[in-house]
Amino acid sequence: MKAVDKLSENILDKLSIDFLRNQVLKNAYGNNDTVIAAMDPRILIVWYLFFGLVPWFVSDLPFLLGCFLLVTVTTILARVAGLVLFLFGLGVFSQTGYLLVVTWLFGGDASAIAPLLILTLKVATVSLASVTVFSGMDPDKLASGLMWFGCPEQLSFSISYAYRMLPILMEEFQNVLLSYRLRGAPPAHDDLPGKIKYLIYQVRIIIYAFYPLMLNTAKRSRTTVEVLEIKGYRYAAVNKEVRKLKLSALKVTNNDLLFLSVSFLWVAAAIFVSTML
Amino acid sequence: MESVKQQANQSQKLMVFVLTMALYGLATLFSELIPKFQVGIVEFSVEYFLFIPLTLAMLFDPMSAALGAATGELVFSEIMLGQFGGLGEVEKFLTVTIGVYVAGRLVRDPANRVMVGIAAITGTALQLFMGTVVDILKVQFAIEDFEAVAGLPESVFATEGFAFLNDLLFSGILFCLLPTLYLAPRLHGKIEPLLGMAPRTPATALEPIGAKAVVGCLIGFAAAIATQMLAESGLSLVDWEAEWAESMPSFATAILIAAALCLVAVLCIRKYAEQNQRG
Repeated sequence: MKAVDKLSENILDKLSIDFLRNQVLKNAYGNNDTVIAAMDPRILIVWYLFFGLVPWFVSDLPFLLGCFLLVTVTTILARVAGLVLFLFGLGVFSQTGYLLVVTWLFGGDASAIAPLLILTLKVATVSLASVTVFSGMDPDKLASGLMWFGCPEQLSFSISYAYRMLPILMEEFQNVLLSYRLRGAPPAHDDLPGKIKYLIYQVRIIIYAFYPLMLNTAKRSRTTVEVLEIKGYRYAAVNKEVRKLKLSALKVTNNDLLFLSVSFLWVAAAIFVSTML
Repeated sequence: MESVKQQANQSQKLMVFVLTMALYGLATLFSELIPKFQVGIVEFSVEYFLFIPLTLAMLFDPMSAALGAATGELVFSEIMLGQFGGLGEVEKFLTVTIGVYVAGRLVRDPANRVMVGIAAITGTALQLFMGTVVDILKVQFAIEDFEAVAGLPESVFATEGFAFLNDLLFSGILFCLLPTLYLAPRLHGKIEPLLGMAPRTPATALEPIGAKAVVGCLIGFAAAIATQMLAESGLSLVDWEAEWAESMPSFATAILIAAALCLVAVLCIRKYAEQNQRG
């Protein structure tokens, strides 16, 4: 019975769309006043390229530990939403912690810990660096930063579009879902078979809800694209003048340089320690 | 007029791209947020909303839908939530694109339920299988002395193989096959006019998958593996470097001093700028 309680509690509580919406909106729009959010996107992307790639290639424990500590501090500075951090912990565990348990089951011993610890540190460092950059930064800023580096226009367009459309889409999904619920009679869910039936009912409704949602979104995306065409989007995407105008807001300040040099100093210290040991 | 293939112009392709991106992005956003739970060793997760791009790829231009799905997942659930995982995302992007594209090309008539079902499960299985292969390779190359750690190779194969079957049989059937069977024939002929296109019929469908498409998919898969292989070559590179650095600790000291100098310089500039502002 416990598993069933957990089952229905898990799905039904977390499925409350309002809760998810609040968390997502908080994460995407909620922290524009942090140290990380005020930085120049280009500097942060360069910073991320280092901490997102280098740890994969290095197996040196002091260096990895140093990087991990640094990205932990930046994650705290970025004031990331709780749910995201929780998911991060879950992700790291499911990637390596799970493996550790199974290794033991197959007769591995303590010798399995060291390589797995290194793997865990790698995964954790890389994901925390990305949490800092992609969760701490305003998506609009991120899009212009990526554009500066010459990423395909379609990617930065997608980010800006997602940023603006997300609340509308979520609201529409919720409305469709509610209208289905209003019209349907949910099965009684007091006992075990009823609870399972209720769960199936919920999942079915979510899938049914995509039918009107697809039609509505098709209409909306046609409108979006037509408006873009009228504004000369495909012409502007390749035009140098437009690009220059869009990117003129970016500015590297002293704070950015300070951030970079502190990170550099910290990494250098980690390398120094690892050679001394 | 039978010889006219279903072709979309540039703005229609963009419409399909935006549509798939928005819908699949929204779905993955939710699935990313819903925690998984386990009953015994079987993992139940609502992770798989692949039915959305599968349906759309069967109705519209498969390539735009596939790219839109991969981009949507990347942008909505990874970047908006800050779950971006670096190298791993390249692999996911490519495998989702290939899986959805192949499924979309397989269907010549979306009203034919048998064909839709086969295509849906094929696309899903393809995507999951590629993910499994890449995952196994990733662990093999990320851990040095993979064979030397007792029990590790077997455990990796066992967990990955089990996860593959679990995903295919549970998520694959419940969240890919059945919803696609429900949605694709139902939307056929209704959603196309909204984008100003003619519905796909056997006469207007694209040619069945040819050698070119297969080669393209193989190249994509190879690229997905290659991003993970980078780790291996990187490992040996750094091993060599570490040896070299051991013999020359002065090199590390030099880096440290350079870093300290950088910091001092930035602090000086900052102070100077502040004084300038005041003066």
